[in-house]
Amino acid sequence: MLMNDRPVRVIGLVLTISYAAFIVWLYGRQPQTMAEVTGAITARVGAYRVDRQAFADGLQLFRRDQLEAARAAFERADPAQQDARTQFYIAYSYYRSGWHRFYQDDREFQQGLERADKAIALAGGRLVVADPELRIHNADELRAELAGGLRTEASDFNPMRIFKGRK
Amino acid sequence: MTTRTEAVYLPLMFLTVSMLGGLRVADRITFAPPPLFALVLAMLLLGVLVRGGVVAPERLLNAQRPAVANLNGLMVIVTTFFASTQVFNLIIPESGLPFLLFNVFLFVLLINTLAGSPDRVSVLRSLAVITGTSFILKFIFLTALSDPAGGAFKRALLSLFEGMTLGALSQQPLHPATGYIAFGTLVLFLIGMAMLPAAATHRAQPKLRISGDVSRHRRS
Repeated sequence: MLMNDRPVRVIGLVLTISYAAFIVWLYGRQPQTMAEVTGAITARVGAYRVDRQAFADGLQLFRRDQLEAARAAFERADPAQQDARTQFYIAYSYYRSGWHRFYQDDREFQQGLERADKAIALAGGRLVVADPELRIHNADELRAELAGGLRTEASDFNPMRIFKGRK
Repeated sequence: MTTRTEAVYLPLMFLTVSMLGGLRVADRITFAPPPLFALVLAMLLLGVLVRGGVVAPERLLNAQRPAVANLNGLMVIVTTFFASTQVFNLIIPESGLPFLLFNVFLFVLLINTLAGSPDRVSVLRSLAVITGTSFILKFIFLTALSDPAGGAFKRALLSLFEGMTLGALSQQPLHPATGYIAFGTLVLFLIGMAMLPAAATHRAQPKLRISGDVSRHRRS
């Protein structure tokens, strides 16, 4: 081997291992958009930032119960879906828009459950959002509420449940 | 083969094939991991490549080479295996009867090639034919049959197979981009295969032996 071969070989090894790790990550995480790919990479190096203005807009709309518009603003604030707090609010908005006094919208609850799972995973387990205007602060509690809404149980047929309020 | 080809170009090419081989563009983008049988087919293909002299493992891994060079060689072999796995994942239909038929057909074909003693050019040519034919069958023939809108090609095929039910043949419809990406991936894979370090003495030994025998015969 020539002496000047060594740097090329080492660079090749580093590139190959990095590229292979990226592919393994890609197959494991299954990102849907380029924003998710770049967002996850920047989040890993601690350079990912949520759009504060869009988040504030989302929060305002969420509090006014304009849930679909709030979700759009939250999605704009966190396009790569890397911020646990924003994902919590999106999950919460699905819970609120899917909740009805006589029934629950399974589609909305399912989407909410996926976002709640994402929020918990991003937070690394425990996630508490200290917002006094919310009735659920813990992501695990929100998840349980969404999962419970998707299950069909004997208590669903209890007429008294119509008096149960939305959280 | 240059150092750059072995250390950089080949592993990166095969990793790109590995990445794109599982890419499916439909209503959402997914990266499909290979089915278990694709690993078996890739192992058989690796055997065919070594036996046919398309790749010479002794040129990539041997005791005379420095450790870092052997690591590069190992990367080439490993990435070749993964690229082969993903190419089978790409050309084999996703479900139903075609999935079974393609797997059986490719398995028999590779076993048959392994049992023979093909040379490098034959193996490369055969590989191009296998991947090309499978590409046409999956991305043109089966895609046309599975098209819910049903174009002119589907109508022509239906009239060709009159009376046959398509339930067992139809596949999940894919975005046209998948076919173009698959084509590029297969071309990249075949280029990579042709760039692998070939067995230098393959098929040369029998000729030398014959000439030696003749000279001995002349002396006597």
